Order: sequence, then structure tokens, then C-alpha cells
Amino acid sequence: MSRTSPIAKVYLFLVFAFLYAPIFYLIFYSFNSGGTMSSFDGFTLEHYGAVFQDNRLMVIVINTVLVALLSALLSSAIGVLGAVGIIFIQRKKYRQTLLTMNNILIVSPDVIIGASLLILFTLIGIKLGFASVLIAHVAFSVPIVVLMVLPKLQEMNQSYIDAALDLGASKRDIFTKVILPYIQPGVFAGFFLALTYSLDDFAVTFFVTGNGFSTLSVEIYSMARAGITLTINALSGILFIVTFVLVLGYYALSNKMKSPIRAGVPK
Amino acid sequence: MTKYIQAIVGILIVCVLLFFVRNELNASSNSKSADVLTIYNWGEYMDPELVDRFEEETGIRVIYETFDSNEAMMTKIEQGGTSYDLAMPSEYAIEKMKENNLLIPIDSSKLPNLQHIDPYFLDLPFDPGNEYSIPYFWGTVGVAFNPTLLEGQTFESWEDLWDPALKDEIILVDGAREVIGMGLNSLGYSLNSTNPAEIDEAREKLTTLSPNIKAILGDEIVETMRRGEASIALVWSGQAADIMWVNEDIDYVVPKEGSNLWFDNMVIPSTAANVEGAHKFINFMLDPEVAAQNADYVGYSTPNKDALPIMDPEVTEDTRFYPTEEMRERLEVYKNLGPEMLGKYNEAFLKFKIDAQ
Repeated sequence: MSRTSPIAKVYLFLVFAFLYAPIFYLIFYSFNSGGTMSSFDGFTLEHYGAVFQDNRLMVIVINTVLVALLSALLSSAIGVLGAVGIIFIQRKKYRQTLLTMNNILIVSPDVIIGASLLILFTLIGIKLGFASVLIAHVAFSVPIVVLMVLPKLQEMNQSYIDAALDLGASKRDIFTKVILPYIQPGVFAGFFLALTYSLDDFAVTFFVTGNGFSTLSVEIYSMARAGITLTINALSGILFIVTFVLVLGYYALSNKMKSPIRAGVPK
Repeated sequence: MTKYIQAIVGILIVCVLLFFVRNELNASSNSKSADVLTIYNWGEYMDPELVDRFEEETGIRVIYETFDSNEAMMTKIEQGGTSYDLAMPSEYAIEKMKENNLLIPIDSSKLPNLQHIDPYFLDLPFDPGNEYSIPYFWGTVGVAFNPTLLEGQTFESWEDLWDPALKDEIILVDGAREVIGMGLNSLGYSLNSTNPAEIDEAREKLTTLSPNIKAILGDEIVETMRRGEASIALVWSGQAADIMWVNEDIDYVVPKEGSNLWFDNMVIPSTAANVEGAHKFINFMLDPEVAAQNADYVGYSTPNKDALPIMDPEVTEDTRFYPTEEMRERLEVYKNLGPEMLGKYNEAFLKFKIDAQ
């Protein structure tokens, strides 16, 4: 760092200021005793109290986190298997086709995915609610996990598998003791990316919510007409701090356990 | 592999814990009745305390969901999947829903509290005889302005907006019916005009306003006005109330030539599973005391005449939000002009926006 020029430092500072300014602005006003974000009248914690008193809001927050965790877990499992399947297809043409289809799902607009899922669910008679939201989130997270895992698989040396085979490993052993440990960083990256995708998705979720099951993004968006209350600011503040602590904890843990993973050497 | 198992077990434990907390919260807020009522309303458009009170009084469990636009709401209802028992669309959406057979007729014999509604708000062109809808909130379209930024200028008439002194001061709401309607009103025509010549004339008149126009915006108008970044805006009275709530300098006026009167109404969508409960809830909301509390929470104008005496007189005597009958005579409710005429309005509005650049 000492060798970076002052201009580079200033530039870096500006980039981060630009990224974080809106969040801090929002959190700053969550302590505002006035009812809105137009002027700061005085310090108060009442909006934070309001978050915990509002049962409906708390249920929605828990819904959001539940769907995020479960969908990230499921899509990681499906995505890893999918990526392994794609990488071991011998015919290059098929592999390329499958990869392209995977990428199309990533770039296609959320509104289209949401509307198609809604039509599908009502057609086959799945009640809108927790299940439909979970399925939808798994559906749009799987391609992301595949994309995160593939590079790890591609950089893995084919000789590891050959060596394991020579030493008499079964197919199952190869998967659990060679491939999975090697691609671990990719799997966790995919999991966390799926988690964030699920947490902040609005467009797809809007179409498939129903029967009293709603997530935070849908709830906040629907406040646009009558005005968003500062309770939402307080809630955003809490979520920001929780995420911040979790990320710090993750780095602390991964630093502590920095024993490099070696493929084929079970601990 | 152990790391994976640890992670998976950890996540599942967290999920189970969250699930229990969620059920605990649900159980504490709702009675365990099998009788369920699903309400679909705008965000922040009903006092949550009233929902709790309704649950206590009737034993019906309420599921409350929110939407952000009439169009989004209609899509969800049209597709089915959720049995919405009650929704609160705006008047033009009610006509569209009626045409698409998305509504169930309301049985007014089950609504003894309907007598509290001011007859002025019943039997309107968008739903003759109130066959499908019951008024919930209402308001007007008018001019919000900041006198501190405008040396004594007032807005008795739409014509005042054309004052050359107001160069680059006016913000318009981004709605074809609102803006073209303002043009028609300023010429003395009806804002439901179906005469292409009149619409054209209105557009030409609006084009001469373009030097005064600062921007054409959506919901951001509220924030822009609050901060005093603009001095005049064409807005809905609900938005004006939001602005004035924070910035007391700002005033709101419905010009004397007339303007639009808008409504949000309670309807029972065709997806309803609990029509009986929906009637109970409508009747509950029509209770003067309930309507007064709700209007106090939401801040829009209530059509409930018997709620007004219970409310803060400072609010109900404010003729900007509760205009007198004489003032209301100049106001018009939007008629459904059909897709072709609506296309004319949209085209005129688009042309005006292009010319205004």
C-alpha cells in the first residue's frame, strides 16, 4: 500500500465514499426524531423500537432471511452437481450449448423470469406463498452458482482424478474427497452470491408472493405511494450492521483456518 | 467434506430457529381462526391497529398484503394463485377490472354502515349504483406552491401558471390525464373531453407553458418540494398533504376553473374466497370512528361524513383537503374514455413532452 500514489488513494477513497454514502445517509436519518428525511430534528431511537414492535415487519424480515438461506443452500447443491455434470461432458458442442443456456438465464431480465414463473405456478396449481418464492429463488440462483463453481473445476488438474482412480478410489470418493475440497472456495462464493441475490430480489419475488407471504423488498417497494417511514431506515441500519458483523466474522474465521486445502488429502 | 457438513448443519439450525420465531410472532398477532380474510392494499394505506381490532372483534384472521400500483395489483388478481378477498384500486382501475370480470358485486344490504358515507361520493360514473365498489379515500388534483419562494404569487386560476415571471419553476406530475386535463380545464373544457380538436388545442396551450416547466416527475416531487428545490408543482392532494406535513410554508390550491376528483375504493375481486368476511371488513371500515382513526393515520380525505365531527377540526375544516360542496361542483371524476381516446391523450402528452424539451 505504501507505494500507491496519493492520487490513487484519493481516487480509491472517492469510489468507496460514492458506494457507501447513500447507506450512511439512510442510517443517519434513522436516528431522526422528525418523521421524514428532509431535516434532522434531533436524536431518537424510537424508530428502532418501532421495528421490534411491528410484528408484521419482523415476520417479513424473517421470511426474507429464511428464503435467502434455504434457496442459497438448495441452489448451491443443485449448482455444484450441475457444474460437475457440465464439465465432464466430453462433446465440446453440447458443453458449450449447456453453458450458453446457463448464461442466458443470468442475463435475462428478472421481470420475464418472474412473469413466466407466475404463469407456470398458477398453471400447475402451486399455491403462491413460501414454496413458490423458494422455488423461484432457487431457479434464478442456480445459474449463478454454476458460474462461480465452473472456473474452479476448469483450473483443477485432470491428473488428480486420474491419480485417485489409479489408487482405487470409487466415483463417490472422487467426488467427495477430490473434487469437492478442491472447488470449496467456488462453492462458498456461489452460496454467498446466491444469498445476496435472494435477499435483494424484487422483480421475481413480486410476481410469486401471495397468501400473506411477503419479503422485505416487495414490502418496501409498495410503500412508494404513501411514503416510506423511518422505521425502514432503522431496519436497513440493523441489517447493514448484521451483514457487516457477519462478513467480518467470516474473514476472521477464514484467516484462522488458513490451512491450504490440498486435493485428495482428507483431513 | 466436514466443512461442508458443518456449514449445512449450521444453516439448517439457523433456519429452524428462525422458523420457530416466525411462528411465535404469527401466533401472538393472529387468532387461530380458520376464517381467513386476505386484504390487498397500497403500502402504508391503513392503520395496522385497525386490522388488529377487526381480528379481535370478529375472530377472523387477516392476511394483509401490499401493492404499489393499480397495474401490478390487477396482474396479480388476474393470474389468481392468491385468494384476495378485498382490494383498494383507484377509480379508473375499477372500470378496467369490471370490464375484465375481475370483480364480485357488493351486497349493500350487508353494509348497514354505508349510511355514513356522504351521498356525494356514491353513484359515480365509474361505478353507477356502487354495484362493485365502496369509497375508501378521495382527493383532488391541484397546485402545490411555496409562497416564500414566490413573492406573493397565488394560484386562483390555471392561467396563473402561464405567468412569464415563473420561468423554470413548475414541476408537473408525469401523468397524461392529469397534465392534458389541466390544459383542457384551463381552456374551460371538460377533462373528459372526447373532442380531438379540444385535446389538440389543450396540447398547444400546454406547449406555450414549456418555458415555465422545470421538470416532469413521479413520486420524487414530494421530496423536491419539501426541500424547496422547486416552488410550484401540479400534484394530487395526497402528495400535497405529504409535502405540507413537513414543509409548512407550502400551500395547496385547486384552481377555480375546476380539476379532477379522484377515488380509491374497496372492491371484492373475483378471486375472493371469503366474500362474507370481506363484507364484514368493508362494514367495519365504514364505521365513523374507524374511518376517522384511519384517515388520521393515512392523512388522506375520508368520504365518511359522520367521521368528520370526530376528527381534528383543524383538518376537516381545511377546505384545501375537504373542499366545500360549492367548490366540489367544479370538480370532475375521470370517465373511462376507452382505449382509443386514452391513446389520443397519451399521444398528446407525449407530443407535449417532446415539444417541451
